[in-house]
Formats: sequence, structure tokens, C-alpha cells
Amino acid sequence: MSGDRLAGRTAIVTGAGQGVGLGIAHAFAAAGANVVIAARRAETGEPAVQEIRERGGEATCIVTDVTSRADMTACVAQTIERYGTLEIMVHNAFRGGTPHRVEDVGLDVWDQNSGTAVWGSFYSAVLAFPHLRTAGARGRLILLTSPSGVEGSANIPIYSAVKAAQRAMTKSLSKEWGPFGITVNAVAPVAETPALAGAFAENPVLKERVEARASLRRIGDPEHDIGGVAVFLASDDGGYVTGQTVVCDGGSFMGL
Amino acid sequence: MSDALNGRIAVVTGAELPLGHGLTMALGRAGARVALLGAADRLSSVVADLDAAHVRTVGVEADWSSRETVQDAFDEVADALGPVDILLHAAVPEIAFERLDLVDVDDAHFRAVWETTMRTTLFVLQAAFPQMHGRGGRVLFVIPTVAMSGAAHLTPYTMVAEAQRVFLKATARQWGPDGITLNAFAPAPDHFPIGVASDEVSLAPPALGGVGDPERDLGPIAVFLASDAAHFVTGATIGADGGIWMAP
Repeated sequence: MSGDRLAGRTAIVTGAGQGVGLGIAHAFAAAGANVVIAARRAETGEPAVQEIRERGGEATCIVTDVTSRADMTACVAQTIERYGTLEIMVHNAFRGGTPHRVEDVGLDVWDQNSGTAVWGSFYSAVLAFPHLRTAGARGRLILLTSPSGVEGSANIPIYSAVKAAQRAMTKSLSKEWGPFGITVNAVAPVAETPALAGAFAENPVLKERVEARASLRRIGDPEHDIGGVAVFLASDDGGYVTGQTVVCDGGSFMGL
Repeated sequence: MSDALNGRIAVVTGAELPLGHGLTMALGRAGARVALLGAADRLSSVVADLDAAHVRTVGVEADWSSRETVQDAFDEVADALGPVDILLHAAVPEIAFERLDLVDVDDAHFRAVWETTMRTTLFVLQAAFPQMHGRGGRVLFVIPTVAMSGAAHLTPYTMVAEAQRVFLKATARQWGPDGITLNAFAPAPDHFPIGVASDEVSLAPPALGGVGDPERDLGPIAVFLASDAAHFVTGATIGADGGIWMAP
């Protein structure tokens, strides 16, 4: 353990079996939080718990499909049962993002993108809310979005749309929940994940282009580059930041 | 009277509300022939005004529930007027405008706002594409500035609006080579029945003194974006709010 900025707090991180979610889970655990790895598959969730415990952190895996209200309800209930409180809800899980043309795309692609990104965000928000309200000024909702959800990506319009919806949810809920002291933010990373590795494998020149576009000339590390930002937002230090999309892309898209 | 849209075929959704009504009148007075998609009983006032202005108009009952039915409506337009040059998409189901805490939104409500509106958005783009493909076209989404500012108690609607805004950016990148442009036309929230006033969006009053009249003040901006003059503008969000929400 390397810090206590989140000591005594409990976080659920969806999709934490791999990629950015796993990076955030490691960073949270290192900052002293109890971490619930909400993974769709125990095969990724349990090894993540193992790694965190080996490093001296506290974690548990709850197998959860974020598109299921029943699963998400159970996940929150089991978290409270085990740790007593829930201060931090991070929705990161996502499936979809396969390239498509707008004129051809079918509703199967829509459903996959909308299900995990949007319905998962909806359930994460409303089911965590009673506990975040109890946590008051320590209450945090963090949604993982994407630079595509800001600028719109040519190959993945539906992905761009659902990621934009998450940013709007962030803004509206920050206004709605601000009176309780709860902050709501979005993080838009570019990071080395299995999903990005898959995209690079299909399109080798993409990696070079992504790296070249970044001011820092490299792709982010889930734990050290993205996890640290999430810890900041989740900690007291980030308590006056709300309704924002923090773009963590090494300086690729600059919006303001 | 401008003739910037002389002979163009414009499909309009959402002309039932005063904003859509005013924008439609502006397109018609600029020379466009207008197809109104929606429910006939709710479109009678705009149809009457278009008739009085001698704008060639057809009304088409639209069933937004599937790609096929929306395609049927666009085919009916093409049969009546010719292939579509302009799509002004402003339709939103009324349930989207209901103000609720998100924790009080149930799955059925969320589905009716988010899924229904976004699927319709996809279907209208898919229906417009074959008619614009190879000859260019102009797509305008009417998107209130609450897409960008957010609004408490309207979370699902703001999600729809912002998702539409970014969806059109990505689609603009795909369809640019076909000469199809897509832009967001962003009026003040006061034009939508959502109970949000512009003073919630900005501390300052509207720079130009008001939120504008749909036909007289906002109409010319829509006409410009639908015209040849705007052929090099795509993926953009054009504020049409008199200087309230100013983009970063």
C-alpha cells in the first residue's frame, strides 16, 4: 500500500477484471480503499482480486453483468454487506466498439454499445445513489467515457454517441446531486487495454497514428496514468471538481 | 424573400412545436418544398401556415418504430416531391421533456426516452442516406444547448441530445466524401418545453437581448446551414441562442 487518500472508503469498479478498470482498481487499493471488482466473468475478476491482495490491498470480486438491474442491485447489496459503506462508484465496463457504417449498421451493434455504456451507467448511478448520499461529501460517481465521445470517431459513430451520453449524464447528475455533496465526473482515457490492443492488431498503422497524435508520444498506462486521475477525483482533493470530463489522452484532443 | 433553397426537398421532423414550426416556415419561404413527418392531427397548424405562404407541402404519417417504417415514410416523400436534399430532425417524444430525479426514472421511462429517440435518430439517418448518396445533402439536428451545459432532472433527455450531437460528428466524418454535411443547430433551452430558462445556463443575460423568434431570428441560420453557402461546414455545433451558452 502506498497511500491513505481513500482509506476507510469502499469503491465498486465495474469491468475491473482488465484494462482501465483493473488499473483504477489497483490505484484505488493502493490508496487504501476497499475495492469491489465487479466483473462479468470470475475468470478475470478473481485474478484481479488476487493481484491486489498480493500487493497488500483489500478487494473482493462480485460477478456482475452491468446491463442487468438485478445483478447491479445484488452487487451494491453485497458490497454493503461486506464493507458497510459505498462511497465511490466507478462505471467502466464496456462491450462493443466494433467499426461500422451508419447506413448499414444493425440494432445488434446499437444494443451492445448502449447496453453496457448507457444502461450500465444508469444502473450504476441510481443503485449506488442511496449510499453515495449517505457518504455526502465523500460520495463519488465516476463514469469512464472516451475522447470519441467528445470529438466523434469516423469508424465508430454509435460508440461515439453512447460515450457522449455518459458525458451528458455526468453534467446533469452533477447538478442534481451537488446539493448532497456528491461529485460526478467522467474520465476519457487513451490507455493500453485489451480492446485497444485488438484494434491495433486489426489496423497496425493505427498505433503509430495514435502515438504520434499524443503530445507525450505514448499510450497511457491504465494504473499509473489513468488510475492516478481516478484516485484524485475520488479523494477529498478532488472534492470541488464536478460535472467535468477529464481527458487523459497524453495531449491528443484539446477541446478548450 | 430569400431563394437560397429554391427547389430543394426538405424533410422536417418535429414541426409540431413552435420552434420546429418556425424553422419549417423559414425553409419554405426560402424556396424549399417541405415534407412534414409526424402525426397529421398535430401538424395541421404548420400545414395551414405553409399553404398560406404558398409552400408546396406534403404531410406523411411517420411510424418511428423501425428502420423499415421510417424508410417507407422517406420513400413516400421521394415519390411525392423527389429525393430528399435536406433533413431537419427535431422530433423528440414528449416523455423526454418530463422533469424527474434520475433515481425516480424507471426502466420503461428511460427506454422510452433514450432508446426510442436514439433509434429513431439512427433510422432517419439510414432512411435519408440512399436519397442523398451520390448527390450530397444537408442534415440538421435541432439540439438544445442543455446537451452541452447539462440540466438537473432532465438527465435522460440531455443524454439523448448530447449523444445526437456527437453521433452527427462521427457520421459527418463518414459521409463527408458523399458531400453530405451534418450539423447541430443549438437554440436556447427556452424554446423547448423542459422548464429550463436561459438564466440557468449562463449568469449573463442573452447577449442579443432575448432567446429569439423561431422563424425570424433562428430561421435564417437554419436556411444558411441547409443552403449551398454552408457546403464546407460539417460536424459543427452552431449556437443559435443569441449569445447565452458560449462554447469553450
